[in-house]
Amino acid sequence: MPKTKSKRQQQIEAVALYPVDWLEERSGLIGGLRYFLFRKVPAETNWFHTLGSATLTAFIVQAVTGVILAMYYKPSAELNPETGKPIAYESIETITNDLTLGWLVRGMHRWGASVFIILLFLHMGRVFLFGAYKYPRELNWLVGAVLLLMAMGEGLTGYLLPWDQTSYWATVVAININANAPIAGPFLGDFLRGGQEIGSETLTRFYSLHMLVIPGGLAGLIALHLYLVVRLGITPPPWTKAAGGYEAQPNGGRPARTGLVNPSPRGNGNGGRERRES
Amino acid sequence: MASKEQREQFKLYKEDVERRGKQFYPYAMFHDTIMSFVVVSVIAALAAVWYFTAEETAGEAGVLGPRYAEPADPATTSFVPRPDWYFYFLFYLLRIFKWPESVILGTVGIPTILMMLLFALPFLDRRRERRIVRRPVAVVVALMVIASMGILTYKGATAEEPSATSGEALLVGNDMPTDDEQVVAGADLFAKVGCLNCHAYGSQGADGPGPDVSEVGDQGKGEEYWVQWIRNPQSLKPGTSMPAFPNLTDEQLQNLAVFLEASKSGGGGG
Repeated sequence: MPKTKSKRQQQIEAVALYPVDWLEERSGLIGGLRYFLFRKVPAETNWFHTLGSATLTAFIVQAVTGVILAMYYKPSAELNPETGKPIAYESIETITNDLTLGWLVRGMHRWGASVFIILLFLHMGRVFLFGAYKYPRELNWLVGAVLLLMAMGEGLTGYLLPWDQTSYWATVVAININANAPIAGPFLGDFLRGGQEIGSETLTRFYSLHMLVIPGGLAGLIALHLYLVVRLGITPPPWTKAAGGYEAQPNGGRPARTGLVNPSPRGNGNGGRERRES
Repeated sequence: MASKEQREQFKLYKEDVERRGKQFYPYAMFHDTIMSFVVVSVIAALAAVWYFTAEETAGEAGVLGPRYAEPADPATTSFVPRPDWYFYFLFYLLRIFKWPESVILGTVGIPTILMMLLFALPFLDRRRERRIVRRPVAVVVALMVIASMGILTYKGATAEEPSATSGEALLVGNDMPTDDEQVVAGADLFAKVGCLNCHAYGSQGADGPGPDVSEVGDQGKGEEYWVQWIRNPQSLKPGTSMPAFPNLTDEQLQNLAVFLEASKSGGGGG
């Protein structure tokens, strides 16, 4: 009896695992996921190392709330003939005051942006203090630096979208600063404005940059960033033994070199005697 | 290229992690999950405090500011621009560097240098050493960057805006007569449409990014020039950071031009 039962179990297992095996055989994704989850990280990995994934969480919050906002937001600076208010501004009013939980979605998007930037800076500070940008992780530092600039670009373009006085005039100044740059400046200014003045063209441009171009770039670079983290491993904290290097190990735990630059440690036999003689 | 020593070190690191390390799941992922919950909760809490302490009316601020300001209106330029907080340090740099010779340092120079340093860091600091006490230069530079960005952000957040003033006060402050109607009307406009946010006039206004215009009439450019300049600065000087004011009427532009022409050294022609 137990034999047939285990056979049935096997059958159920085989049926349940069939899609998983099917996917693994055709893509290798399951193996990739297993590698990601069960890979070894340094034993000293601690709370400081959560700042990166916390930043990713803030980005996911921005993506989800942003998708919902895009369903209700209308990127038009035209005035509604009935109320005399800009259409974009009115849609923001509706989202904030009338839609069910609209305030929460917009509020989380608005404040999630600040939290995202703060976490990016904290994560960058952690990487700097841990010296985690050093060989072989230089490329990942560069990717992170581009991510930071793109996140600030998201902040700049998103700030205009409510089309209220604050956002409008801050954008006037921001575009003028960009247009002031040598050589590329005037072209950049014209591109961002979409014309001589800041108006409907500017708003749709910023909307497209804010929800298509920059987020697409961010998502792609985040994937690359994570791939490099998994490939190169996590840097142990700088207060662990590993931070100074592993030179003690190649020659079997003995001090690598003695002499004037790197005196032999106390108690290794003749080091002390030599010092007394000289 | 990486040195042989660097490659060896990395190989030792990989071996060490294999030997002594722990699995990402569940150990590290446990911390990550808790941290993610904290992040989402903080964001939701900020949203709630922001929404419930502010009013539905535009501009009625709560603890974390208003839900929205008044609708954007390109015609009333007396509104003081303010970026989001993480641009405050750049915003304040504009006030430190004066128009016209050094403002480019604040708008382009310093941000570009900071950006280049950010990208160059792993190539400037190529030592293997990661212990903090043995990296004095890196740590001191980092602290200086953090401190200066912190101070600039704070200054940007608390900077006092040039207060809107009347045209008459402007004229009196610059020792100019207040009997010409057109000049007074132009001075009023100058004070109200936001010129003082970027320009100094007499003892009023901001020191930058625009130039001091108290004695701009000395240049003898003529009223027509100023009308054209304010309506569309790019047409006269491509690349200037002076914004266009296309919504002012011809009469308003004319008044502003008369006022600027009358602004001469030694008390406006008096």
